[in-house]
Amino acid sequence: MMNKNNNSSKFSLSNYVFNPEFSSLLILIVMFIITAILQEKFFTLKSIVRNINAFAPLILLSMGAAVVIISGGIDLSAGAALSLFTCVLTTVMKKSDPITGVYALLVTFAVAILVGIVNGIGIGYLRIPPVIVTFATSYMWLGIGLFLRPTPGGESVEWFRIFYNPGMIEGISPSIKQFGSMIPPALILILIACFIWWVISKTKTGRYIYAVGSNNDSAYASGINTAKVQMQACIINSIFIFLAALFFVGQNQSGDARMGDPLTLRAIASAIVGGVALSGGKGSVYFALVGALILSFVNKIIFFANISTAYQTLVSGLIVIIAIAAPVAYTLYSKE
Amino acid sequence: MNLGISIIWGRYKKIIVAFILIVLLFALGGIVVPNFLTVEQVLFTLKLASFTALFALCQMLVIAAGGGGLDLSVGYAATLTAVLTASVMDGQNANLMAAILIALVLGSAIGLANGALASFLNLPPLVVTMAMANILQGIVNAYTAGRNITGRPSPILAIVAAKSTGGFPNILFILLAITILVMVVLNKTKWGTILFGVGSNETTAYLSGINVKVVRCFAFVVSGILASLTGLLLIGNMGIAFKDMASNYVMPSIAAVVVGGVSMSGGDGNFVGVILGAVFLQALTNLLIAFGLGDAGKWLVFGIVLYVLLSFYASNRRSR
Repeated sequence: MMNKNNNSSKFSLSNYVFNPEFSSLLILIVMFIITAILQEKFFTLKSIVRNINAFAPLILLSMGAAVVIISGGIDLSAGAALSLFTCVLTTVMKKSDPITGVYALLVTFAVAILVGIVNGIGIGYLRIPPVIVTFATSYMWLGIGLFLRPTPGGESVEWFRIFYNPGMIEGISPSIKQFGSMIPPALILILIACFIWWVISKTKTGRYIYAVGSNNDSAYASGINTAKVQMQACIINSIFIFLAALFFVGQNQSGDARMGDPLTLRAIASAIVGGVALSGGKGSVYFALVGALILSFVNKIIFFANISTAYQTLVSGLIVIIAIAAPVAYTLYSKE
Repeated sequence: MNLGISIIWGRYKKIIVAFILIVLLFALGGIVVPNFLTVEQVLFTLKLASFTALFALCQMLVIAAGGGGLDLSVGYAATLTAVLTASVMDGQNANLMAAILIALVLGSAIGLANGALASFLNLPPLVVTMAMANILQGIVNAYTAGRNITGRPSPILAIVAAKSTGGFPNILFILLAITILVMVVLNKTKWGTILFGVGSNETTAYLSGINVKVVRCFAFVVSGILASLTGLLLIGNMGIAFKDMASNYVMPSIAAVVVGGVSMSGGDGNFVGVILGAVFLQALTNLLIAFGLGDAGKWLVFGIVLYVLLSFYASNRRSR
């Protein structure tokens, strides 16, 4: 007992450096410092709120991607699903009738669950390779999205701005406006996602997701319904994407069947940079958030350092490789 | 006799199914849409499918080597090659050799980088090649920022990739030659045995003295080279190079491999099946366009058909 305590309390740098989560945190701190130096007024409330708003969709999607990847899957349809949700929201809502906003929330939530179920059936029950089945479903979401919204547009009720900036709603009490300018709704959406995952991780489902992801066959052999667990992971992912869709419609007051596409691979990359292992079963959903912050800060730094935005994709590709290769390379080096 | 048939059926089941599906698609098109089932239409479909098939060949080799192999950078390697060689060729046949040389160097460099990271550092190929795709697209963006992509393919290349002889697209001859080459190498030489051996059982391959990492890395290098050369053919076909000319081939190339009956877990591969997979996807797309469903219907039906097809024969519901 004493011995065990001694071991765990012994501080050894290498224990931390080998951990992919440590290196991602280190990179984030460096990014943070560089951004703070480059951007004037980085620490003002306005700039912080603006940054949170800019980063929120990727953060939400990367957390969803992390859940699916930990369960042993992958979701290439996330961006298309996000687009679909914005299309459904803006189709159900009528600007003149505030109550339609509630209907839209309910309908879109149901659609989100359905999207999760269809992905989950493919990955879990039919056991089709996740890469290829979610590629197929991404076309379904795109098709339905285009059916609802052939061109970007649609309408949204006024109070939906509460998911973006309550200060923009007319006739709202000043105290809520004040609150909204201090605590951006995007942050609340992220906290809701974190809370959902926190609750789930305390239940059996949370542990099963890790068990199924790390070894599907032994999880199955020990009596876990692996297909159901993978489907639950897909549904959680869908709910996180749903939260991101609320933010988008609050911000733009419109839907677009193609706007989410670039986010799909960025979300997966964020999860990986945050230390989630693509082989499944390893990593933390909260650290996907760190990965998303790293990729977001990269773009900010490129913007503020006056580097042409043409280099954005190039640099974020390099960052992904450095972030995942550094711990491995360090391990190999120190072994020799 | 019966045994023979059942062996053939067992081995080539998915390929036969893919072939029947293609025939059904064309038959359906012929009944519903006038002028769908003509020789020109079929040849045109085959021509379009041949580019997907070539990218799918890169994909198949990497997937066959196992270890979760996938190459999401193929389309981007092709785009970069096309954009860079466009100005080098400048419409002159004399510069074709230089362009091919560039393609070979670029392709092997990209493949080597992918392979080194994926197999020697043991990083997940999906992420490595995705990041590589970003890097390559980034280079294309930076190269083309603020200027027009100038240059045309050399006439020989245009003839090979775009023109037809006697109504028969020349690219199909290339595809045929490559198919024969690939089939011979994979089925009649030890190279094929080694590749499939590494893919189907890493440990056995290692114990029989094969350097698994080198083989996997080599698969990526070949994939990179093939992708770059396909980029040359693409610019030959299109006549110009542009920023995202080949990125739309990446996911269909994976789908073609799966529809062609190749297991995603590695260890097998039949290029004829993969070509049929590519033709199926192209014929489906053409048919949906011919139906006049519009973008929405086209993509929805494409997704549903792919999903249903996958649930029948890419599903891995083994008895356990």
